Amino acid sequence: MSDGPAVDPSGAPPPPLPPLLSAPPTDTGWHRLHPATPLFRGGIILIVVLGFVAAQLRDSIVQLVAGGVIGQELPPDPQDPFDRWILEHAAIALAIVAALIVVVLLFGWLSWRMHEYRITDEIVEEREGVIARKHRRARLDRIQGVDVVRPLLPRIFGAARLDISVAGNDGNIRLAYLGSAQADRMKSDLLLAAGRARLAHQPPPPPPVAPDPTTAFAPVSPAPDRLAPAPPPPGALIAPAPGAAGAVLGAGGVLDRRIQEFTAPELDDALAAPGSVVHMHPARLIGATFLDAVPIFIVLAVFIAGIEVAARSPIVLVTIIPVLIGLGSQLWRRVSRSLRYSIAATPAGIRIGFGLLSTTNETLPPGRIHAVEVSQPLLWRPFGWWRIRINRASTSARNGAEGQRSTTILPVGDVDDVARVVGLILPGLDVSGLLQGSTAEATPAFTTSPRRGAWFRWFSWRRNGFAHGGEAVLLRKGQLWRSLTLVPLARVQSVEIASGPLYRAARLRRVAVHTVHGVVRPRLGALDVADAERMWRETESATILAMEVAP
Amino acid sequence: MDDDRIAAEDWHGVSPKYLWVDLVGRLIPWIVLAVVLLLVQLAKGGWWWLGLAAVLVIAVLIAVFTPARVHSIRYRLRDDDLVFRRGIMWRRVVAVPYGRMQLIDITRGPIARTLGLAELKFVTAAAATGVIIPGLPEAEAEGLRDRLVALAESRRAGL
Repeated sequence: MSDGPAVDPSGAPPPPLPPLLSAPPTDTGWHRLHPATPLFRGGIILIVVLGFVAAQLRDSIVQLVAGGVIGQELPPDPQDPFDRWILEHAAIALAIVAALIVVVLLFGWLSWRMHEYRITDEIVEEREGVIARKHRRARLDRIQGVDVVRPLLPRIFGAARLDISVAGNDGNIRLAYLGSAQADRMKSDLLLAAGRARLAHQPPPPPPVAPDPTTAFAPVSPAPDRLAPAPPPPGALIAPAPGAAGAVLGAGGVLDRRIQEFTAPELDDALAAPGSVVHMHPARLIGATFLDAVPIFIVLAVFIAGIEVAARSPIVLVTIIPVLIGLGSQLWRRVSRSLRYSIAATPAGIRIGFGLLSTTNETLPPGRIHAVEVSQPLLWRPFGWWRIRINRASTSARNGAEGQRSTTILPVGDVDDVARVVGLILPGLDVSGLLQGSTAEATPAFTTSPRRGAWFRWFSWRRNGFAHGGEAVLLRKGQLWRSLTLVPLARVQSVEIASGPLYRAARLRRVAVHTVHGVVRPRLGALDVADAERMWRETESATILAMEVAP
Repeated sequence: MDDDRIAAEDWHGVSPKYLWVDLVGRLIPWIVLAVVLLLVQLAKGGWWWLGLAAVLVIAVLIAVFTPARVHSIRYRLRDDDLVFRRGIMWRRVVAVPYGRMQLIDITRGPIARTLGLAELKFVTAAAATGVIIPGLPEAEAEGLRDRLVALAESRRAGL
């Protein structure tokens, strides 16, 4: 641990391309996962099964053991053929159970033995499987993000999962589970190595270049010297040296370390940055989550009332209870997930922390955010709350609901929070004035729908518009559900202009900016023909320009 | 996109033979439906022939508009991007920078193959891009593919 990157306080130029940092993955050989992995993976299921079996056979077991010892003959239940069989063939039954346990343990141990990973300068590689072997490898320069995830059970035992997401569908590598500190260390190593690999695969940019629009995050520049551990930014909280965690380890022993990890899981990161730019207020989070669910409650209430009136019986109330429980637990999950939210800029990208009991800690490398949407549900408006969602290049087919988890990077925040988070993604763009207020005052100025656009955008035609600014194209939409969509020009894939018969009759067009698939769909309808053409042309040429400045 | 102005620029169309591919592809489901309705009418009698007539009218309409629809499919190679357009009722014009190309797919359907045609698909990281140029003579499709790959290679951009 103490052999990690030394932060040079004198500001002398750090070595240009340091070798892979810190302990385990330094050598490029194969490594195994945390030894307790099979327990974490199958542990809960095993416990549940054992518990179920124990509960079912409690009487029989008590009788088997106690009956023989005490010599007291409890009457066997002749009604139950299973009980009878157990009583008659106790030895066989015990042998079967023992054999099952041995097989399960053996299989768990074998699968742990056969599950290995390695990290070289070029790739991350994983191989697993006892009977059918599976082999995955990911090139470091294709890494889209590295998450450290700590589900509750492994977290108690000081283990964590490392999710490495790679561009493309289901190209992800999941190392479950690693030691908690090791996972954090590997995350920073991987992100640094990924940055180096990206550099190695592209020609070095000419030195005096305009600000690079692909690397949309201020702290990182593509110059190699900056990829080495950077000196702490001025005025920032100085990151705890990697040795600090080691000292605690020695002094307090395992328990102390565990408690420390549990209460402050982020302190161990060698790349720890200035504190979170957003502080989540619990009351605001709970209020926002609840308000978000109000429409569902209303629909549900109307539905129930309708059926009650129609059926004239309260029978539906009983069936609705599971639905309510499901809804409640869903809301609680959302609240508990976001309670310890943090977002900060690090040299390796934007780091987002989530979770109260199970924590997720992920880092988005620069330029991996393809579209940003700041939106406001109707009921949030009196409070001035907004949320931010993003599109990113990696989607995981492995886990449906979990794959979507990382689309929301700000669950709820006020205008200032939004401006700070967007500032991390697109530096030099101040959105605080763009979210509300009239179009005339906004800078950059928005081009909005013409008067006749009101036929298609009844309430929002005055708001419905686009602008270019801060290396991005901005779309502002919606009067009831307000939103502002930002697409970094360097990430635009293609631009479309389209129309149907009605639009043509009204001399209107729709423009869509295509990005990687995700929750954000940047498209804008009901624009005047000339404005739409201008947006289409300008966005396309600006995209091409952004690509030429930096690939 | 003033449509007249677009037409004046140097756009490439697709092969006129593609008309048959498009026609057959679009008519098959309606013909199947018409046959089913005809059989039901013959077996049971009643008012099924009304449905049959409606299906036939739709099929004729599709056939009538096919030439215009095929004619509307056009593409153009500009300095830095490919522009693709299609549609008569619902029109769309898409511009894709060459550097955004991930790969190019050439597929040949059974009908297209007998006519010596191929379909070229320009794949980017965005599924919505949807640039599929059908009805290219095979040699032209392969030539276009090689050219696009070369162009994309010279303007390579990270994802």
